[in-house]
Amino acid sequence: MRYALLVLGGPYTHQAAHSALRFAHAAIARGHRVDTVFFYHDGVYNASHLAAPPQDEPHLVDAWRALHREHGTALQVCVAAALRRGVLDASEAERHGKTGASLESPFELTGLGQLLDVERTHERLLTFAP
Amino acid sequence: MLLHLLNRAPSSSHVPRDVLRAMGAEDRLMLIEDGVYGALNAQVQHLPGLEGRLFALREDLESRGLAGRCDASVTIVDMDGFVALTEEAQRTVSWF
Repeated sequence: MRYALLVLGGPYTHQAAHSALRFAHAAIARGHRVDTVFFYHDGVYNASHLAAPPQDEPHLVDAWRALHREHGTALQVCVAAALRRGVLDASEAERHGKTGASLESPFELTGLGQLLDVERTHERLLTFAP
Repeated sequence: MLLHLLNRAPSSSHVPRDVLRAMGAEDRLMLIEDGVYGALNAQVQHLPGLEGRLFALREDLESRGLAGRCDASVTIVDMDGFVALTEEAQRTVSWF
């Protein structure tokens, strides 16, 4: 089946992101596809490539990247939620006159309407929230 | 049949009560994260009427040091079993 996950929890604050990541790997191990992870609310912090957790802790941002690299999972980030929280890619940073960007590929800024498409095009959508 | 996901303990939240009110007769309830506290003997009374339809995630029980303390009425599943439950349900509804 085609699965999508909606992540509303920030990393290292709540368990939501860890639960979603573990679910993604378990679903893939059972032969499913996890085609999309959509980050919304504080979940957008999962996309900040400036995250630098201690080396002996799970690196969630890298783990999402690896999910994309190894399984082709799209990592979509709600642009409105991200801009509010200082999670910007290079073009948004330039547009808003900021000196740095914190989001880069394979994460992609997208509109909330994309989430409706995800709900329509995937067979299962699970929400992981704080 | 819907699979309801709950990550709140009955002792600290009113959300579990809302879930019970919303559940259909065939629906299932999956306890994850802090929701697994509801699977303990002392708390399972707050989740009545779910015989055979109440599940708890093993990993979240173990990470809280509570493996082996669940009520016998609760079915313990691992992540693989969690995925299987989502396959069987039409869709999932998350409560938080």
